[in-house]
Amino acid sequence: MDALEAVAAALWPRRLSSAVPWLMLLPAVVLTGLLVLGLWEMADGSFRTLDTATFLPSDDYSFANYHRAFTEKLFVTVASRSLIGSLIVTAATLVLAFPYSYVMVRTRSAALRKFLLIALFLPFFIGQVVRAYGWLIILGSQGMVNEALGLVGVAPIRLLYNYPAVLFGLVQYMLPFAVLMLAPALTAIPEEMESAAGSLGANWVRTFVHVVLPMAKPGFIGAGLVVLTLSLTDFAIPAILGGGSQDFIANAIYDQFFRTSDQGMGATLALLLVAVGSIMVGVVFALFGAGTLAMGRKP
Amino acid sequence: MTGWTKADFDLSRRRFLRGVGLAGAAGLTGLPLRAFAAEPDKPRELIVRAWGGSWVDSLKAGVSDPFTKLTGIAVRHDLTEDNEIQPKLWAAAAQKRVPPIHVNWDTTTNATKSALRGVTEDLSDLPNLKTVSEAAKPVGVDGYPIVNTYGYVYVLAYRPGAFPDGAPKSWKVLTDPKFKGRVAVYNDGIGLHFPAEIAGGGKLEDIPGNMQPAWDFFTALKANEPLMGEDPDFTTWFQKGEIDVACTISSNAREAKKNGIDIAWTVPEEGATYETDGLWVPKYLPENELYWAKQYVNFALTQEAQQVWLDGLGLPGVAPGLKPPADLVGDPSYPVKPEDYARLLRVSSKVEVEHESEWFGKFKEIMQG
Repeated sequence: MDALEAVAAALWPRRLSSAVPWLMLLPAVVLTGLLVLGLWEMADGSFRTLDTATFLPSDDYSFANYHRAFTEKLFVTVASRSLIGSLIVTAATLVLAFPYSYVMVRTRSAALRKFLLIALFLPFFIGQVVRAYGWLIILGSQGMVNEALGLVGVAPIRLLYNYPAVLFGLVQYMLPFAVLMLAPALTAIPEEMESAAGSLGANWVRTFVHVVLPMAKPGFIGAGLVVLTLSLTDFAIPAILGGGSQDFIANAIYDQFFRTSDQGMGATLALLLVAVGSIMVGVVFALFGAGTLAMGRKP
Repeated sequence: MTGWTKADFDLSRRRFLRGVGLAGAAGLTGLPLRAFAAEPDKPRELIVRAWGGSWVDSLKAGVSDPFTKLTGIAVRHDLTEDNEIQPKLWAAAAQKRVPPIHVNWDTTTNATKSALRGVTEDLSDLPNLKTVSEAAKPVGVDGYPIVNTYGYVYVLAYRPGAFPDGAPKSWKVLTDPKFKGRVAVYNDGIGLHFPAEIAGGGKLEDIPGNMQPAWDFFTALKANEPLMGEDPDFTTWFQKGEIDVACTISSNAREAKKNGIDIAWTVPEEGATYETDGLWVPKYLPENELYWAKQYVNFALTQEAQQVWLDGLGLPGVAPGLKPPADLVGDPSYPVKPEDYARLLRVSSKVEVEHESEWFGKFKEIMQG
């Protein structure tokens, strides 16, 4: 042991101990640096337009791609759909995730808790694409739902390939993420707090509004941010459940990179997506403070 | 093999290519394999990008397996989508790196973009180019940066049960409210722009100057709530009874029919889009690998290889003497005679490449609105 300590002291003298936290931060810095490098390359590409005579990016820089992004109807439509969709999905997911998390955390039944945990983690073992195809089987014209409706004399209904189908698929996909983020926040609320509120005369609703909700705020904020950013950038669900007519911004980016070979335009849309996502996160932090995520807490 | 001299083995590249061409033309066993004695080192394998399903199965049966038998070089098929391999090849060429594949099986439109970008090897010295039809020559580019290997038609596929009076006569059926929500087109509009131009009241000659008739047709189509997807989606949708009619490549419709799906196809009165696919070799391969990649392409142009490959796909090739598969004799999706081609809509790949992005954007704008 002494020998090991001697080797460790030789490799990393005690006077450098204050640098240990920075050393531990190094992998994250390198990783972030690589991402920034990639963004820098994309930023460079975003100012170059595609020359369809040579399929090379222009040598000159211009704002032409950004002008297109803000003025062409296609991009405005797709961006609006993505933004509105991600907000709806976030709200719906949080509403559905809260009771699930609450029951999972507060239930006295070990069996029920196990069941809820299994039901929570099972979807993680099934990829997003497979889950989306599962909905095709369930909600298709000849799917289980329409077959059930047929039994009571209802003609097949088109349940897929529309905006609600995409939002539904996203909510189903995001629900486990939100529950996972909410559960620790609810666990951190001492059950005695709710009992105390009750003993002071608060009914369940008042306890929920004045005790549980405020104390669960970090969980709501964290879950909301995760669901919002994942929904905003999702590709597979709009592609599969949207039937090709309900593209989100990620689908438009794919099209520019891989269908029209216009990497400059693809880079522009990707950077704008990063910017919009960052602004939304920034606004949440500005409104609620990073402290709501238990960050920056004083010891 | 007695009697061979050193000069016989000191084959120039051109002479060797000619030899392989003869071997191909004479069939796989036309020349003894030792004719390759002076060839460059053989790579352990060639990687050929291909489309999956029946597409790669046909290529394997007609070209890859016989090529391996002839040369001893294994052929691995990379099933990365054509659109997705393209940026990888472009990036490799930009960095002068060895590309991830040896041969790209690509649409002519996509391949022309790569040729214009200068990332393709020139294939003009392939001996079998002397025997193939004019269709093998790409339009709008110098030389042979790509060799077209066959043509295909975007047909109007339909469920016969939905058309008791016979095949639909016009592409306008896609806008018929009777089939609202039960029509499908490719999600980039590919294959439909030219018939849409005519069905919308325009003429083929108006392309690309005036595409308004096509946009009008797409607007009417949008109102009919089409499904939009890729080849596998169409098969699934027909199988699940989601759609009655779709614009798709004849090969896919034929394959679906082979698999028991109730489907038929037609070339409507406006005509149908005729396109080509081809093979090309990316730049910056090691010398010996480039050499064998070219042999692969050359071999794919032989009558023997094309007959098996394209029988599987049900498509007309460029090698002379090909016979149509029995089920496609007289089929409008398998043009043979000049009058067959007269029903098909063709625009130069140069025009397509220059305007593809703009057309795609407009199609998307209408359909996403």
